[in-house]
Amino acid sequence: MGSSVSKALGKLFGSREMKILMLGLDNAGKTTILYKLKLNKIKTSAPTVGFNVETVSFKNVKFNMWDVGGQERLRPLWRHYFPGTTSLIFVIDSQDKDRLNEAKEELYSIISEKEMENVVLLVWANKQDLKGALKPQEISDFLELGDNLKNQMWCVIGSNALAGQGLVEGLSWISTNTAKK
Amino acid sequence: MSAIYLTDAPVRRQHTSGNPLLRKIQRACRISLTEPDLALNLDVADYINEKQGATSRDAIITIARLINTRDTHTAVFAIALLDVLVKNCGYPVHLQISRKEFLNELVKRFPEHPPLRYSKVQRLILTAIEEWYQTLCKHASYKDDLGFIRDMHRLLKYKGYVFPKLDESQLSVLKPNNNLKTASEIQKEQEIAQAAKLEELIRRGKPEDLKEANKLMKIMAGFKEDNVVEAKQAVVHELNKLKRKADLLNEMLNSGDLDLNNETIQELYGSLKSAQPKFQKIIEEEQDEDNGLVQDLLKFNDNVNQILEKFTLLKSGDSQGASQINPENLSTAIQMNQGGALANEINLLDFDDNTESSSPAPESMTTNTQPVDPLTDLLGDLNDLNITTPAASTPNFGLGGDISLGSAQPTSAVTNSTAAQSDAFDLLGDFSSSIPPTSAQTQSRVLVNQSENVKFEFEVVRENQNSLKIKSFFSNLSSSPLTEVAVLLAAPKTMSLRLNPQSSSTLRSFINDGITQSIWIDNAQANAPKPVKLKWKVSYKINGSPVEETAVFTLPNI
Repeated sequence: MGSSVSKALGKLFGSREMKILMLGLDNAGKTTILYKLKLNKIKTSAPTVGFNVETVSFKNVKFNMWDVGGQERLRPLWRHYFPGTTSLIFVIDSQDKDRLNEAKEELYSIISEKEMENVVLLVWANKQDLKGALKPQEISDFLELGDNLKNQMWCVIGSNALAGQGLVEGLSWISTNTAKK
Repeated sequence: MSAIYLTDAPVRRQHTSGNPLLRKIQRACRISLTEPDLALNLDVADYINEKQGATSRDAIITIARLINTRDTHTAVFAIALLDVLVKNCGYPVHLQISRKEFLNELVKRFPEHPPLRYSKVQRLILTAIEEWYQTLCKHASYKDDLGFIRDMHRLLKYKGYVFPKLDESQLSVLKPNNNLKTASEIQKEQEIAQAAKLEELIRRGKPEDLKEANKLMKIMAGFKEDNVVEAKQAVVHELNKLKRKADLLNEMLNSGDLDLNNETIQELYGSLKSAQPKFQKIIEEEQDEDNGLVQDLLKFNDNVNQILEKFTLLKSGDSQGASQINPENLSTAIQMNQGGALANEINLLDFDDNTESSSPAPESMTTNTQPVDPLTDLLGDLNDLNITTPAASTPNFGLGGDISLGSAQPTSAVTNSTAAQSDAFDLLGDFSSSIPPTSAQTQSRVLVNQSENVKFEFEVVRENQNSLKIKSFFSNLSSSPLTEVAVLLAAPKTMSLRLNPQSSSTLRSFINDGITQSIWIDNAQANAPKPVKLKWKVSYKINGSPVEETAVFTLPNI
């Protein structure tokens, strides 16, 4: 009851709430991004076994951000987090060229799921500060999203979780691109 | 109004027409039907079982809405559909119907005070809740997740609603079935249940739910191996149950006054028959992994074939042919098997030496002798035997433990007689280890149990550092002969049992040591800190009526 009241108020004042699912291979930087956004701090974390969830408020939008561990044995469990997702953030380690293909495969297997066909897709080409990291444009070319996604909105943004660069841009892209629905 | 926000409802609920699940549900509940269409209902169930994920939740939410429509016809159909889903979709749906929101929705049209006459829909809803309460809430292995059903049942009762009486046949559908399953099937079931629970926890999203979800996720991701082992244990456990059923059926077929339409016999026959096709599957699965189990199973399959054939012969009146099929061997054959892979697992009984207290607690020695009512579930496993002591009729019970301690008497002279019992054990342990095994001739008899009818004794000798040899003796204390005497034994998981066939299965009246049997326990270390415990069960017939006795016996430390 209380939550529906607050939702109604939220509507009145234009605030929204959405579920963001943040996935990606292990060691891509998902948890670091999450806590950089939430606490504006760098939390060195051990590989996530399980998931983290935090609410990040940004411009009247409450993002419920779910960061699910990316280790191989956790990936089959990702699909349990799909229901109700507004936006998928896929984080890629731009320096890890060897596993870029693996990341691409995982990404496609996620967005080909029926439950994810309406989500807005943001790819963070993370670790831009590292030497030899691929540029967002290169990542974007590699992923070939333009050729494969027809009705889905998508965007690749370079990011550097340590400095916080690219993160706010990403969220603001999500919030503008989900508003009209 | 254009804003998107997350409600509890799944995101795509609005586009009804595009969602095959909702279309199927609407088809099953449409007014133009004259009565609930089972085929359409099962179609929904199949769809949910195939797609999993959020489907069970979507379906249940939709059904709850349909139940509350003004149109009685639709509501009745929706309840019928709900019933089919509960019975066919397992845990994912059970979890959904136990949600508080759903239950509240379900009774939305129930007035605060019960009406004089319930409407048809109300009556059906009460029936459904009563049914869930009597079955799922009591028997399901995950009943802890279904607490709200219990609460709703209690609340309605408190408000004065009266639940209809259900008959056994209605309830039996939702009771846990003992169908034999292969390891991979058990695992699959478990995975589905875990996935459903995880999604539900994520959906609820309260901090404590998330904590549990995280824990569950670790289990799902990390301990697959464990699941495999567990699933296999479950298989073996089920097989052992079946073995006992086979034994029992064989015994019953051998008994003189035979009524083939006897409910118990029918049930035993049915469960053996229905389990047989599964043997093949289990064998296929385990072929490369567990040769012992496969061998064991093949042998068991032969036995089952024999019994079933015998049953058929008897049924067709060919008792001559039936008696040709050698029945006596069977129970011993199976008992001999206990050395095999199944037996290590066995533990007929879930008892584990870790959990036992180190001193033989008297209460663990309780015994029961109860005439077996053929209608009760004879077949339930030993675990289910309720250990209540009809004290008045069996004054001797419970003495076994004390007497077993006394069995150490011959050597207790060496020990300080004032020492506490446990000390005595330790000292004895030292003592026995200091002498060569061959001279460990503390061959005194130990009384395991004495009831009105039977005296059951052990003679325990240590064969070597690792194994114990036990000779068991049965004496008939009553004036009537005992027939079909059968003994089942179980040792802790870490040990293995080998049994020779019983010398006989009948006991003349007042005969002493009429039956003997040799038993070996392997892997029972000398000097083990804890005494070895054996669970035993003796069944026999006296004057035609079956009796069972069972208890746990602590072996003297040798």
